[in-house]
Amino acid sequence: MNQKLSEKLSALFGLKIGNISPLLEEPGKIHFGSDSNLMDDDEIADLSAEFLSLMAGLLGSKNPDDRKSPEFHALEMFFASLSHKILMRGGRVEEVVRYTQLLQYALIEALEKDSGIAFTESRSVLHYFTSIFNELIMAVFRSYLEERERVLEAQEAELRETSTPITEIWDGVLTLPIIGTLDSSRTMLVMEALLNRVAKDHAEVVVMDLTGVQNIDSQVSHHLIQIVRAVQLMGSSAIITGIQPEIARALISLNIDLNGIATRASLSDGLKEAFRRMGIQVSHKAS
Amino acid sequence: MIPGLHLTRIGRDAFLLEPSRSLNIKNEAELIEHIARELQQAKASCLYYDLAGLALIDPVYYAWLDALARTMAAINVRMVCIHMQPTAAFALSGFITEKPAFETALDISDVHFAGNPV
Repeated sequence: MNQKLSEKLSALFGLKIGNISPLLEEPGKIHFGSDSNLMDDDEIADLSAEFLSLMAGLLGSKNPDDRKSPEFHALEMFFASLSHKILMRGGRVEEVVRYTQLLQYALIEALEKDSGIAFTESRSVLHYFTSIFNELIMAVFRSYLEERERVLEAQEAELRETSTPITEIWDGVLTLPIIGTLDSSRTMLVMEALLNRVAKDHAEVVVMDLTGVQNIDSQVSHHLIQIVRAVQLMGSSAIITGIQPEIARALISLNIDLNGIATRASLSDGLKEAFRRMGIQVSHKAS
Repeated sequence: MIPGLHLTRIGRDAFLLEPSRSLNIKNEAELIEHIARELQQAKASCLYYDLAGLALIDPVYYAWLDALARTMAAINVRMVCIHMQPTAAFALSGFITEKPAFETALDISDVHFAGNPV
């Protein structure tokens, strides 16, 4: 960083920047206040004051152009946390980016007014602020992407949980309705969850209902057979129900050996078979 | 006393085999002979093999179980593996291509019901 620019920035820092704080509230009011209702006036005032204090810290630091300085890092964290807060309140990343851009113009305008220096004549200062704000916009985007990733991971975990609803429908009888498309990674998850439940609940029979499965490929059908085998190896019985005609045809054309695997047309038939194997008789109450 | 395993009589004609960590299945032939002799002398008809302590069954261990089960079948003793862990079942189901020679059950008490030929 050249000496001249550093001096100019120090001179700016020497100004009574507290005076310009109200001017910086305007971008916040436009993007987070009134219509969007993401922040109230007090919060916007606090936001502007905190930003100004962090910016003053950066401009007054030993090397204001150092992007690894604690002062710059604090400013980045401020924008990352702002982005996170706005997204959590239902705002969009565009609003935070536009706020950051508008804040840049407002800061330059306020400093110009306060210092009496026309920044159009001092391109180095203008360039400095532009590059700083570009980095801050990047921080906003990084935070946005991290948040999106976190939300997607949470949604995926929730989906996994709900897509393998293993239920103990009777003492020692587990049912697992499989819905949607079975791919290899999901099949592995199903297998892991199911085997652990067999051990935990001491399940004697597992009924796997494929009524909701529309497609199956060679790899998945092998995994399916592997689940059945693993359940049997643990000492439980497995019954597959609801194999649709298309799936049955696919299994045969894939040369999948269903020998030794109990199948029933529907979940209800599967449960009847499970009860029969356990010696349980379910009957209507005598009137 | 057979090194590496505990063989306990349970009931009139059944035995429980609990392998310990020191079980050396390289001595397969010797071990199988010992077990078969003891079961024959006791007129046993069922051998429960407890797999509770085994997190993984690899092809080598499976070959040992298979050989033992076939020998048991030859002397008319039913071999039932109990307490197979989910991880072991998962690993084993990945490489076996045919029905094992042994039966499986969750526990001894389930054998009357399941006695599950895989």
